[in-house]
Amino acid sequence: MLEDDHELFRVDARRRLLLIGGLGGVLFSVLGIRLFHLQLLKGGEYRDLAENNRISLQPVPAPRGHIFDRNGSILVENRPDYRLAVIPELSGGLPKTLERLRAYIEITDKDIEGILKQARKQRSFLPVKIRSHLTWREVSRIEVRSHLFPGAIIQIQSRRHYPFGSLGAHVLGYLGEITETDKRDFTDTTFLGMEDAHLVKRDLNDVRFRSGDLVGKTGVERRFETVLRGQEGVRKMEVNALGRQVRELGHSSPMPGDDLYLTLDIDLQRDTEAALGEKLGAVVVMDPRTGEILAMVSRPAYDPNAFIRGFGPGQWRSLITNPGRPLTNKAIQGQYPPGSTFKMVVALAGLAEGKIGANDRVVCNGHIEREKVRFHCWKKSGHGSVDLVQAIAQSCDVYFYRLADKIGIDALERYARKFGFGELSGIRLVGERPGLMPSREWKRARQRAPWYPGETLITAIGQGYVMATPVQLASMVATIANGGILYQPAMVRPGNKSTAVVRRRIRIDPQHLALVKHGMEEVLNGSRGTARQAAPKGVRAAGKTGTSQVVRQKREESGKAIPSSDPRFQDHALFVCYAPVESPELAIAVIIEHGGHGSSAAAPVARDILERHFARKNAGLET
Amino acid sequence: MARADDNKNFLSSEDAVALRLRERLARFPWGLLLLLTLAACIGLTVLFSAVGRRNIGMLFSQTVRFGFSLVLMVILALANEKVYRRYAYLIYGLILLMLVAVAIMGDVGMGARRWLEIGFVRLQPSELMKAAIVLALARYFHDQSASPLRLRDVLIPLCLILAPLALIVHQPDLGTAVIVAVISGAVIFVAGLSWHAILATVIIVPASFPLLWNFLHDYQKRRIFTLFFPEDDPLGAGYHIIQSKIAVGSGGLTGKGFMGGSQSHLDFLPERHTDFIFSVLAEEWGFLGAVILIVIYGLITLRGITIAVMARDRFGLLLASGLLSLFLFQVIINIGMVIGLLPVVGIPLPLVSYGGSSMITVMLAMGLLAHVSIHSKQHGRAV
Repeated sequence: MLEDDHELFRVDARRRLLLIGGLGGVLFSVLGIRLFHLQLLKGGEYRDLAENNRISLQPVPAPRGHIFDRNGSILVENRPDYRLAVIPELSGGLPKTLERLRAYIEITDKDIEGILKQARKQRSFLPVKIRSHLTWREVSRIEVRSHLFPGAIIQIQSRRHYPFGSLGAHVLGYLGEITETDKRDFTDTTFLGMEDAHLVKRDLNDVRFRSGDLVGKTGVERRFETVLRGQEGVRKMEVNALGRQVRELGHSSPMPGDDLYLTLDIDLQRDTEAALGEKLGAVVVMDPRTGEILAMVSRPAYDPNAFIRGFGPGQWRSLITNPGRPLTNKAIQGQYPPGSTFKMVVALAGLAEGKIGANDRVVCNGHIEREKVRFHCWKKSGHGSVDLVQAIAQSCDVYFYRLADKIGIDALERYARKFGFGELSGIRLVGERPGLMPSREWKRARQRAPWYPGETLITAIGQGYVMATPVQLASMVATIANGGILYQPAMVRPGNKSTAVVRRRIRIDPQHLALVKHGMEEVLNGSRGTARQAAPKGVRAAGKTGTSQVVRQKREESGKAIPSSDPRFQDHALFVCYAPVESPELAIAVIIEHGGHGSSAAAPVARDILERHFARKNAGLET
Repeated sequence: MARADDNKNFLSSEDAVALRLRERLARFPWGLLLLLTLAACIGLTVLFSAVGRRNIGMLFSQTVRFGFSLVLMVILALANEKVYRRYAYLIYGLILLMLVAVAIMGDVGMGARRWLEIGFVRLQPSELMKAAIVLALARYFHDQSASPLRLRDVLIPLCLILAPLALIVHQPDLGTAVIVAVISGAVIFVAGLSWHAILATVIIVPASFPLLWNFLHDYQKRRIFTLFFPEDDPLGAGYHIIQSKIAVGSGGLTGKGFMGGSQSHLDFLPERHTDFIFSVLAEEWGFLGAVILIVIYGLITLRGITIAVMARDRFGLLLASGLLSLFLFQVIINIGMVIGLLPVVGIPLPLVSYGGSSMITVMLAMGLLAHVSIHSKQHGRAV
């Protein structure tokens, strides 16, 4: 019975299999007939096409998108670039042509070696690049004597130009020749991130990367490579059997890359760079109402144009071996102990946890003892009896030691994380580093040691393990300024419109906030504030100084021979602030590496920025 | 459920003795293996010409892949009987999960999510799904042997097909999706879909094209469009087809000789070592070379049909049918697209195109086919 059933199925299935086989046979025959048609009947025709009328398709590079600041000032543009190439086949001996060219343009022996090597690698009718960035003089010298250089062609390409030189260099980034890693990154659709994917108006499948292409290596140029990059066009050339181009058969125009509007304000950026001068460090200026980055500076800087022009011998070496790390964007990659700028977070944690009231006072006599260790206040003589506002204004360490004792590391860590410490801010630049907010678990995992109460004390004054980037500090002070909204720092304005992304809303009791803000106002405006000399004129600001003592330990470790005046062992100076206090428009974080005290080194930088900005703004309002 | 048990009894009553390893080796379809090796050798020779001396590493890795997949094929073929039937759904389920994982966290290359990184292995689950869907469908129709099948009998199999299909289209990988759909159709057809239902499908499917059109990416639409008018867009999507046709056509009767393809060597032909490798063969070896390879493919397909016909049970028959269809249609669609008969959808040419996933999938399918052959009803009568 079952056997029958199965046999029945088998008979039917066999018939159907034969049908599939038959279909396969028919289809194979169709392929065969088509091949017969293509290869035997029309073979001669196609052979002519292949041999005598070789069609060569040449990519026509697309201009890269421009980059503007928020007000439409151009930050990055393209300029024509003349390059010389030679088609070896037509040159009548490439080495001879090169020798002749040397009389008119500069070509080194090493260049010649590379050019000949490249020429051997490719077909002899394809042009070999001799030199880029020819000056107009060089171009005309060659053009006039073109009969001397058969096969030489001048190609015009567009070349990236940064009109402001090193201004904003770390934000803009620079271009370099594409590597395999770059190619992988850029063809990865997640590279740009979900929130910016809509900026790409072209089909990523049509965006091509070729070896030798210049692509963004860092900064905005890298992060938004797929946006800025255009879609190359093609020139269809008829090439004769010798490889000479006979005529153009048609072309499709390249599609230029999309322009990008940054959140930067070029005037504010210029002010900020001027205020910082040549001091090592970084400054971040943020709009606390939107999280937009208005200015971002890292020092020392570099000129992105140099990457286009090419470096002379030694120039590149000095750039990468410079101990100041000019290629690092310290605003997002530099991780520093936040020092006393961290105290606002500790104060808000203490208030929220009910560990301290507005009028609770602590007597500071210059130090406290914990576990037989003496923890010093920066002011050896002590601050006397201080309340919360004065503790912030005078940056009393003892007050925060006692507060930290009550809060404990767990609650402190929780609060600090709310403000973005220890996590990436999500700024749309590549290479951001997360800083570090230590916890019991972290220490157990990383140091294989329990958390000691004394470590809570030094954490509370922003020392010890805690590390923050300048952009994190700017975010923190912006969050205080705007009443508790932690924004994702924005770098671009799609369609030149603001798009604020809220990372998190922190619930802060308005009274608590008012106390902390009062303390910060006193820092600049109070009679005993740590930065009272740095109060800006023309605008009322609130801020907090910080001095991070990273190297003191090293100094002690390395013996006492090193004089404290050695700049490498100076403390980092920090200052964070916002202004105007009534309705904050700017939030600033300044860090001066080895600058000494926050009050004397960092706060004046912020003051200069604020004074210049609000002076210009007020002038603008009056006219 | 009862029917499944009956089948088990029916099978065990016929031949309960498990084959010994030596018997299995004796029953192994060595002729098939020879044909596959022949095709792969042609493939390696053409590949050498296509990638040139400078990329000799590619030739090496392709050879290693073929050797590895040959071993894989033999191992798969020698497995115990019924093991594939027993785990058909499990295998299908696992690979479906992998497809879901790809959709969520897959590696992105050239704008499509296709790969899954497991340890140091880079997997393309959509390739594996080609074999898994055949396993699942064969198992389903083995258990549910209504005959003839009406449309309502294929509702569950349709779900089995549409789930991975949707995920593959989403990647997007149109070529693989087409193959999965075609081989699924072949299995359902062989399983005995009623002629009424076939007629209905023939009417409904083309009618649904306008609807599906909206789900395609722009570049896919463009590719389909230029299939019909390739000369309209010679620099864009039609470029592949035109250059490939010139390469093939200029090959003539005997070709331009090994390494002599001007068309394929002047960088006129993109992707000449993967999807378009057939045009290198046709240019350099001419009509004769192309026909020889097609004949080898035809013989492999024919061998697959005899294996299916001789299969011991319904599962084996359907499995073999699906696998041979997989092979057959990959060949036909790839060559058809290279010579300008079908749209360019990105389907590799079995055993010849450069690439690991494709090679392994084909040989894995061949291993299962050989497995069916080893456990066939009347061994020895096969061609």
